[in-house]
Amino acid sequence: MECTIRGAKTYAATGGKDFNSQLDTVVFLHGTGLDHRCWALQTRWFAYNGYSVLAPDFPGHSLSEGNPLTTIEDMGNWLIDLLNTMGVKRAHIVGHSQGFLSALELTRQAPELVASLIGIGTAAAIPVNPALIEAAQRSSAEAANMLLQWGFGQKTHMGISAVPGMQPLAIGRQIMSDNPIEADLRACAAYTDGEQAASEINVPTHLILAGQDKLTPLRAGLAVARQLNADHSIIEGYGHMLPIEAPKQCLQQLRNIITKT
Amino acid sequence: MSRSSYLKPDTIALHSGYTPESDHGSRAVPIYQTTSYVFESVSDASSLFNVEQGGHIYSRITNPTVAVLEQRIAALEGGVGAICTASGMSALFTTFITLCSAGDHIVSSAQIYGSTATLLRHTLKRLNIDCSFIPINDEHALREAIQPNTKLVFCESIGNPGLEVADLPQISRVANQMGLPVVVDATFATPSLCRPIDHGANVVVHSVTKWMGGHGVAVGGAIVDGGQFDWAASGRFPELTEPYAPFHGIRFWEEYGPSALAMKIRAESMRDIGAALSPHSAFLILQGIETLSLRMKQHVNNAKQVTEWLQTQEDALWVNHPDMESNPSHQIAAKLFPNGAGSMVCFGVVGGRAGGAAFIDALQLASNLANVGDSRTVVLHPGTTTHSRLTPKDMIAAGISEDLIRVSVGIEDISDIKADFTRGLRAAKRAAESQIKEAQ
Repeated sequence: MECTIRGAKTYAATGGKDFNSQLDTVVFLHGTGLDHRCWALQTRWFAYNGYSVLAPDFPGHSLSEGNPLTTIEDMGNWLIDLLNTMGVKRAHIVGHSQGFLSALELTRQAPELVASLIGIGTAAAIPVNPALIEAAQRSSAEAANMLLQWGFGQKTHMGISAVPGMQPLAIGRQIMSDNPIEADLRACAAYTDGEQAASEINVPTHLILAGQDKLTPLRAGLAVARQLNADHSIIEGYGHMLPIEAPKQCLQQLRNIITKT
Repeated sequence: MSRSSYLKPDTIALHSGYTPESDHGSRAVPIYQTTSYVFESVSDASSLFNVEQGGHIYSRITNPTVAVLEQRIAALEGGVGAICTASGMSALFTTFITLCSAGDHIVSSAQIYGSTATLLRHTLKRLNIDCSFIPINDEHALREAIQPNTKLVFCESIGNPGLEVADLPQISRVANQMGLPVVVDATFATPSLCRPIDHGANVVVHSVTKWMGGHGVAVGGAIVDGGQFDWAASGRFPELTEPYAPFHGIRFWEEYGPSALAMKIRAESMRDIGAALSPHSAFLILQGIETLSLRMKQHVNNAKQVTEWLQTQEDALWVNHPDMESNPSHQIAAKLFPNGAGSMVCFGVVGGRAGGAAFIDALQLASNLANVGDSRTVVLHPGTTTHSRLTPKDMIAAGISEDLIRVSVGIEDISDIKADFTRGLRAAKRAAESQIKEAQ
């Protein structure tokens, strides 16, 4: 579905069902350079099992217009605008990587909107190698190439796919190569307030972490879990791109967490 | 490296899509010879049917062994996904029928396989899908042929049997500018020699029966979705951008983006047409793919030697291979096929049609049969077989003369191939001499 946020046309996937703000809502937030399609499988389950779903493309990403947001804090603020526009009083917020950082900021700025907070493949800070930002400055495709190489675990690199016949690396490359990776990376690199935000948050929180995560290493995810006093689960054998690499395992975890919250 | 993998092609050919399974540690890809799959629960079944999770439901749609082949071919070609089918022709039909409806139009190269020409000219015509055949490397002709109802541009990367190499960068640029995807049959090339997606093509189709398998024991096809065509920006594909009623109003483009076409083929065409590849055939094709690049090097090397040798034989009147400077698409071939433009060679012998028949009948090593890409050398007279349904005019447009002999050069020792062809040329010469005597 499309809506207008801050004057820009914004796209949010709804899992194949019309959005209904009266239902319990689950919001899925994508990571650097990605879009709503990394949640294609999980959004459909929640939409067809009694929830309303929103998986927005952040401004300037894929089907959403507007300039990319330049700070994580502003991403959190933008999410408040999104939820208000959609009439959502309270939602479960699921964020992957950078999406979790923006969810942290949303929760800090408007805790009343957050029923629960779930981070996937993430940490309190996502420092970025300057070489990666330089690559993104030259072209998103070049940076995407680096992110995909580090982001996916060994199974995906061996051509294994959760969806028969598909190649997630090529799908990711196609999506990320046209998205504003440089802006995303700069926002991540500049965000150093994650630990402080985590200390201020008091909502049910759960982290789903990847055993082979090279971008936000497992130890960093476990550290933020401790700061948040959050439950955590570890999916072994997969890399940073958990929602794409291990969608079934992610969905199972999300079902367990959200349906019991 | 392809767009789909950081592994090198030879490694992809051996490993991609499969790691030893946990139950028994089988190093080879197992053959999952089953029609169906037990669901974990009613909820699990429902999730699978509603595409809330990946997995297998029924082997007409997906099968674990076939999926390994699909993922391996997608990785080799650099696509976002692949769907394997029962044959190369079913791969083409499935592609066309997924993208076209009654009232639509296709622009096709005139130099294509005879059965594909028949599909486009006659079978799809019955479904009110029209086709214009053009010299595909003529940019003006391509622009002129595109109509408001055109849905795709089709060509073969190496035309059969005229051996014209399609100028994929130019064709893709023109077609994409006009909102059309380019579908390429890359059977004669294989990803070992040319990856059409790297040159701008959007969909790649294979008869994996041929060089991909190489052994000539299994028939199969594959469709590879390049994932880089913007179906929404084109404005010509409501089937992919608007709600699809049989699937709860799903919008494939919004939901799956780059893999929209592959998902549509899987969800609709494999369900409705059901041209599924058998798991056993998939296993056999996988055995061939493991040695694809090794075989292609030998195929190309032998083809080069056969081409050069035939040019020195006085009873071979003409020879055609894309790597020859006399081939009109030679420069395109040099650009797109730096390691050689395949192992198909066409030539004519003294004695015209009778000489050609004598040549083929005299061969003892090479086989006269309707297949190409076998590891063994095979020959055929297209004018009386694969392209016999074409009119004389269409035959000329397809690059076929009455005396044309088509050779798929195998990987035998080159000296044995030459010895066999020497036998054939002597027979052709005798046939030509008989004709002269009869005329006197």
